[in-house]
Amino acid sequence: MTLFVKEGCAKCEYVKKSVDLAKLGVKVEVLSPDNPDSLAHLAWHELVKVAETQMPILVLDDSSSLTGAIRIKNYLLALSQN
Amino acid sequence: MEPASQKVGARGVNLPLKPFNAALKETTDLALFVRTSSETISDWNRQRIVDALLRETNIAQEVAEKISREVEEQIISSKISLVTAPLIRELVDAKLIEYGLEEARKKHTRLGVPLYDVDQLILHPNRENANVPHGPEATNLTLAERIKKEYALLNVFSQEIGDAHMRGDIHLHDLGFIDRPYCSGQSLEYIKKFGLNLPNSLSMAKPAKHPEVLLAHMVKFAAALQSHFAGAIGWDAVNLFFAPYLRGLSDREIHQLAQMLIYEFSQQAVARGGQAIFTDINLYWEVPKHFEKVMAIGPGGEFTGKTYAEYAPEAQRFVWALFDVYREGDAVGRPFFFPKPLVHITEKFFQTPGHLDFLAHICEVAAEKGNTYFVFDRGSTAKVSECCRLSFKLEEADLEDAQYPWRMRYCALQNVTLNLPRLAYQSAGSDDQLFNKIAQVFNIAVQAHLQKKAFLERLLALGADGPLALLTMNKDGLPYLRLGRATYLIGMVGLNEMVQIHLGKQLHESDEALKFGLKVIAYMKLLADKMSRQYNMRFVLEQTPAESTAYRFAKLDLRDFSPRAGYIVKGDISRGEIYYSNSTYLNVGAPLNPIERVRKEGLFHPLIEAGALTHLWLGEARPSKDSLANFIIKVFRNSQNDQIAFSPEFTACPDCARTSRGLQAKCPYCGSANVEGITRITGYFTKISSWNKGKLGELKDRFRNQNYFLEKDGGPAKDNRPWPFREETSRTFV
Amino acid sequence: MVYSIKGFLETSFSDWPGKVTAVLFLPYCNFRCLYCHNYELILHPEKFPDFPLSEIIKKISLNRGWIDGVCLTGGEPTIHRWLPALLRFLKEKLGPDMLIKLDTNGSAPQVLEKLIQEKLVDYVAMDLKAPLTVERYEEVVGVSLGEEGLGNIKKSIATLLSQEVDHEFRTTIVPALLQEKEIYEMARTIKGAQRYTLQNFNPRQTLAASLRDFKPLDEPTLQRLQKKVTEIIKANNCPDKSPIKPEEISLNKLFISYAK
Repeated sequence: MTLFVKEGCAKCEYVKKSVDLAKLGVKVEVLSPDNPDSLAHLAWHELVKVAETQMPILVLDDSSSLTGAIRIKNYLLALSQN
Repeated sequence: MEPASQKVGARGVNLPLKPFNAALKETTDLALFVRTSSETISDWNRQRIVDALLRETNIAQEVAEKISREVEEQIISSKISLVTAPLIRELVDAKLIEYGLEEARKKHTRLGVPLYDVDQLILHPNRENANVPHGPEATNLTLAERIKKEYALLNVFSQEIGDAHMRGDIHLHDLGFIDRPYCSGQSLEYIKKFGLNLPNSLSMAKPAKHPEVLLAHMVKFAAALQSHFAGAIGWDAVNLFFAPYLRGLSDREIHQLAQMLIYEFSQQAVARGGQAIFTDINLYWEVPKHFEKVMAIGPGGEFTGKTYAEYAPEAQRFVWALFDVYREGDAVGRPFFFPKPLVHITEKFFQTPGHLDFLAHICEVAAEKGNTYFVFDRGSTAKVSECCRLSFKLEEADLEDAQYPWRMRYCALQNVTLNLPRLAYQSAGSDDQLFNKIAQVFNIAVQAHLQKKAFLERLLALGADGPLALLTMNKDGLPYLRLGRATYLIGMVGLNEMVQIHLGKQLHESDEALKFGLKVIAYMKLLADKMSRQYNMRFVLEQTPAESTAYRFAKLDLRDFSPRAGYIVKGDISRGEIYYSNSTYLNVGAPLNPIERVRKEGLFHPLIEAGALTHLWLGEARPSKDSLANFIIKVFRNSQNDQIAFSPEFTACPDCARTSRGLQAKCPYCGSANVEGITRITGYFTKISSWNKGKLGELKDRFRNQNYFLEKDGGPAKDNRPWPFREETSRTFV
Repeated sequence: MVYSIKGFLETSFSDWPGKVTAVLFLPYCNFRCLYCHNYELILHPEKFPDFPLSEIIKKISLNRGWIDGVCLTGGEPTIHRWLPALLRFLKEKLGPDMLIKLDTNGSAPQVLEKLIQEKLVDYVAMDLKAPLTVERYEEVVGVSLGEEGLGNIKKSIATLLSQEVDHEFRTTIVPALLQEKEIYEMARTIKGAQRYTLQNFNPRQTLAASLRDFKPLDEPTLQRLQKKVTEIIKANNCPDKSPIKPEEISLNKLFISYAK
């Protein structure tokens, strides 16, 4: 799983703080003006347009994606409880 | 300083220096005459050399005098019988070099074309631009372009930039149109409101009261605009803005108007050397959200008191009629090359009644003639497309302007394209080196833009008396060309080959290759954003149409990077029909089905802000319009692809006046071999006979969606195998 | 079970109006229509290796959400005993949402009925080769049929006209082989059909070499005939079936996996 976050994004920070991402094996990709790799990764998942208005984004192993900080947090918390 | 006259030489050549000097009256038996550039023959006058040098360069008076004397001696001692102004200039230039005065020489140099070249040009067609038919206007265009090109490289761009272009690291587009911006998008509202009052025109027209007159204004304005832009002239929401003039018209009248519009724009052979005006019309089935509440302008340029939302029926009737005309084709059944119809598919489209029927209608045109461009505006993106792939995403500020649609004028000032494969040859597999080089060449492109911008600003500053008076005209508080809204385009050629060189696999051959390609474009996009912030100018990536650029880069790389380049360039080297893949396209010969091509190419599209396009070549196949409509809906919902167009191929027979599918050597109806093949060259239809060698090479490679049998060894069949299997025959789907 | 699939077209916009489909080509045929342009496939299919079915399934699954159905054509699919098994396999592997279309010359009505009853086909396109007389039919299809053979054709027609499954009839027109009035006659024999499509033959690819010098109909004539026959078959006022069903088009992107 991959969590796309952006610099200076409060909602992204919220999710990062609420869940132990490392434990769940969630890779964090930081979108920034100096990071072509994460932008390319985002494009690979067809999420560039989505990311313009909704951050953070969680991409699951089957390549589907979740948006909405609270939704993501809840999903990850549910996973970590299993 | 000089003696009043001087008798010199064995031949007794006299050089009367001051013709009205009384002492010379009796001397002349053989005077030296000079053919000047103003078509007169005048007497030799050394002072003219000095004057020119002082006027045109920065050298000191004594140096100018010295040079002029030396040149004079040279001419006399060489006993030349015909002295021309160009010859004198060449000799002076040589002197300037001798004295190490390189800068001065550049300023003093003569621009022009060799006699031999002019002779060839007048007699043989120029293949660089598939739009230009051979003729005196075309020759004028080519000659003028050559001189302006030289001028641009010497006087507008710095040596560093000029060299980068000549080497083939970058391509500066339309150098021959250095004194123009690149392309534009505008609104009919401007001439609806202000009428037609162009600078330097002989008459002024009040705002149109009738749709035919509005059309006439539109055509005139387009022609005037075309002579001020190097590229496409795009119009926003054409069917909507015509709508207030169409109330109460019968179906027949609307059909006639549609015919007039299409025939007018498809046949205008005036601008830029006799080409048709490169026209794009943006069309909507629905009333775009940002125009719903805008007050409509109608006959006489007056507000009708209604909003545009109320004119939906007329707008729909008109766009339907336009596609009826496209469906028929011209008198011989050929598709219309221009104007190019761009239909915007948006969320609101799917909520608007009748959209399925309209979709089937435009898909029928796509299936039968191929004209339709499907532009996908997903989410809340609004776009004005100005040419096959160039579009402006409307930002907040632009959407405010939508209240006053005549303000919606956009342009791109210049297009600079990067040679991507070359960077890979030079990087020898090292990622660090490759990305460094990308940044370097990107920076060169940015510098080029700054220089062009500076030049155009100088021209625009001359205002109504200057060469770009039309673009400075001010009817609504703003100059017509809104420089603050201009974009600066950075294009690319051969991403596919770059990845092939760097990783050994083409974009379609592995996921890793595709991802790497995405990284390159992502990197370029971030650079564009960075530069935009740094210079406060909008740098955006675009998919270069690359008609001749892909050919030029391939040729230069073949010369400079062989033998490696020999394995990489596409096409047929032996015939010189070579090319690199267009921008971020996947290899046109790759055996990809349309779904894969749409999806994979679509991954790049969101990174290419100025717009992108995927071509689907149909070959001979005639698809069901309803299946195409089904497909279009899926492209909108299931991919990120920005825009697609289907490109069928045709053979037009002027002998029996019929058009058939596929590219054929003989007309299947009358057997005539005098047929013309027609298909799409990077985004607009044209006849195959006018293509340059690179595009011909690409045509032969194109994978048409017909191959479905395995070779004996298990790989997919190649297109050029003798082909006994089911090709699509002509079917009529009702 | 070894299925012999000689050709696979991953995406077609031409085979099922309103749908985007994949097409499978099966070898051999029991007819020898003079205008057949797949004659290599029916005469010498051994020249072509079999497409592995697993590959086909994989490719189609990759494009789930884009591909609406699979078309079986050839050659003549119904001459293969394993056809029902193949269709069952496809339905199983690709899911019940994946529609199946069958192209057939209608010479095996029992097979056709079985496939329809077992719901293994969702759409049938049957060729109507000539007016329904033994003499005329044999002329066009190049093999002897006899009354029994013609009877089979008629049974297949009847099965389709009973509306148990969506269908269309198709006729390939070679002007030298079929006259205009015969075409209208043929239309009348299938009155009530959902659709009747006329198509030109391709003179560059024909089984009978002699046909290669013949000219196909020109567009306007073809359109005119098409319009007329469509009127004829609809004379019973059957409701028009709209080819696109928007609700069938997958809208939820989340279920589409972009396979790595």
